[in-house]
Amino acid sequence: MSATAAPTTQKRDTATPAVRFSQVNKTFGQVKAVNDVNLDLHAGETVALLGPNGAGKSTTLDLLLGLRNADSGTVEVFGTTPARAIAQGRVGAMLQSGGLMEEVKVRELVKLACDLHPKAYPVQRVLQNAGITEIADRMVNKLSGGQEQRVRFAIATAGANDLIILDEPTTGMDVTVRQSFWATMREQAAQGRTVLFATHYLEEADAIADRVIVLHRGRILADGSAAEIKAKAGARRIVFDIDGQVDEAALRGLPFLTSLSVSGRTVRIQSTDADATTHAIYGLGLYPRNLEVAGLGLEQAFIAITDAATAEEAAR
Amino acid sequence: MNTFASGALIKLEITRTLRNKKFMFFTVIYPTTLFLLISGSSGKSDVIPHSHLTMQLYYMVAMASFGALTAVLMGNSERIAKEREKGWVRQLRLTSLPGRGYVISKIASAATVTLPSIVIVELVAATAKGVRLDAWQWAALTFSIWAGSMVFAALGVAIGYIATGDAVRPITMITYFGLSILGGLWMPSTVFPQWLQNIAKWLPTYAYAGLGHAIEQGDAPHLRDVSLLVAYLLIFAGGAAWLYRKDTLKA
Repeated sequence: MSATAAPTTQKRDTATPAVRFSQVNKTFGQVKAVNDVNLDLHAGETVALLGPNGAGKSTTLDLLLGLRNADSGTVEVFGTTPARAIAQGRVGAMLQSGGLMEEVKVRELVKLACDLHPKAYPVQRVLQNAGITEIADRMVNKLSGGQEQRVRFAIATAGANDLIILDEPTTGMDVTVRQSFWATMREQAAQGRTVLFATHYLEEADAIADRVIVLHRGRILADGSAAEIKAKAGARRIVFDIDGQVDEAALRGLPFLTSLSVSGRTVRIQSTDADATTHAIYGLGLYPRNLEVAGLGLEQAFIAITDAATAEEAAR
Repeated sequence: MNTFASGALIKLEITRTLRNKKFMFFTVIYPTTLFLLISGSSGKSDVIPHSHLTMQLYYMVAMASFGALTAVLMGNSERIAKEREKGWVRQLRLTSLPGRGYVISKIASAATVTLPSIVIVELVAATAKGVRLDAWQWAALTFSIWAGSMVFAALGVAIGYIATGDAVRPITMITYFGLSILGGLWMPSTVFPQWLQNIAKWLPTYAYAGLGHAIEQGDAPHLRDVSLLVAYLLIFAGGAAWLYRKDTLKA
């Protein structure tokens, strides 16, 4: 799978997608927060929007929910505008920037969310699903960060939504709560809902999503299964110097190699199996000097993917 | 469905306000106490300079209007500013509540909690101070003070959308005390120097109190007061609507 080809080669089926972005752009000042994004989400998919801070995840979700308008391109939710899809009660969302009404009890707030939803569930069931039955009589402004997150989740799932949007939902949750949260989320997905969540944890995307979209600087860099993305982001970097002539063709034949760049005598390699690749370097009869092998953090992995993408574009 | 949805929010807003002891103190107990204190020293026959109104009658309307003003102005502006900042307004936009529903429910719930502050001042005036009026006058007074408070509810919404964070409280306070004092809600504006009286006459609070005073004297509210209030309502509501739209686009 090529890093850049994904959005364009992706199949567009005839059924109305849950979400469709067509050549969407959004700029803030000099920054292209969303850069020519094409994207289809299908019914029943659980999709992770993965990217470092500032990658454009929140802006993408804002556009999807109609909280901001795109500079160009169109955003459709179930074949209509985001505002209309929301008014129809088809979308539930939990945003980082979404606040709660204060000075009311948790139960009252959840009841309001149910009253506002055209296809609402019973209040008791919503409380139970979000695991907040015990704190239902507490005042909203007296909750801990993790409890607040669960109340937000309850509001986002107050009715039978077809699409659930979650922006870094587990921030502030402890491990146990996090696990029960995702268990509830899986149930929602099993009922045929489309779930889209933004995260910067690769592990979270891996454990939950059946499709991962990597966003960096407003562009989709990769779109595939969690395993495919993990292989990319799980790569290690090998850097060394070589005395004498560098035989690029030979280096390109190294096993598990995902990218190669040579500048002067310095060789930079990315590999999904650094041990095997290093072994093969010696196997070529080379004597690498100043050898460094380092893991790539997710953020660095993204940057590496971007570099590769840029190089690919330049080569065309 | 949409009307019903707004109803749910209005109901919760009212529940929350009635539960807020500090707010109820300032809108109900405070104006009533002020009324008792100010009118306590004056006899039944003491008359406000340049009018036929007794002190009791004058202050009953002034304090009922003051209580109503407090309820709609203080409640709305700070809440809206705070809820915009905390993202509650944003979260509400992700429900099927229509966009205007938030502002409408703010005004409607403020209007509901205004009633007790008016009625209690009137009750205390009638029972403790022996204020006597015709039945139509009581009804007309209550209604005009209540309806007139809508002007300030709109002003409260506008301030809530202009200001953020720390700025809301001082702006609200200056507006609130300036309008209350200069408009003659705390003391008859006839005690002011002439130049100040000339300014006071154009304030919405002056016209607001004027509605009640006209009724107390057995007249219909003066056309000038009513038109001035309508003009202010249009300005404030128009401003609030414009600010609301601007805020929505910014999200």
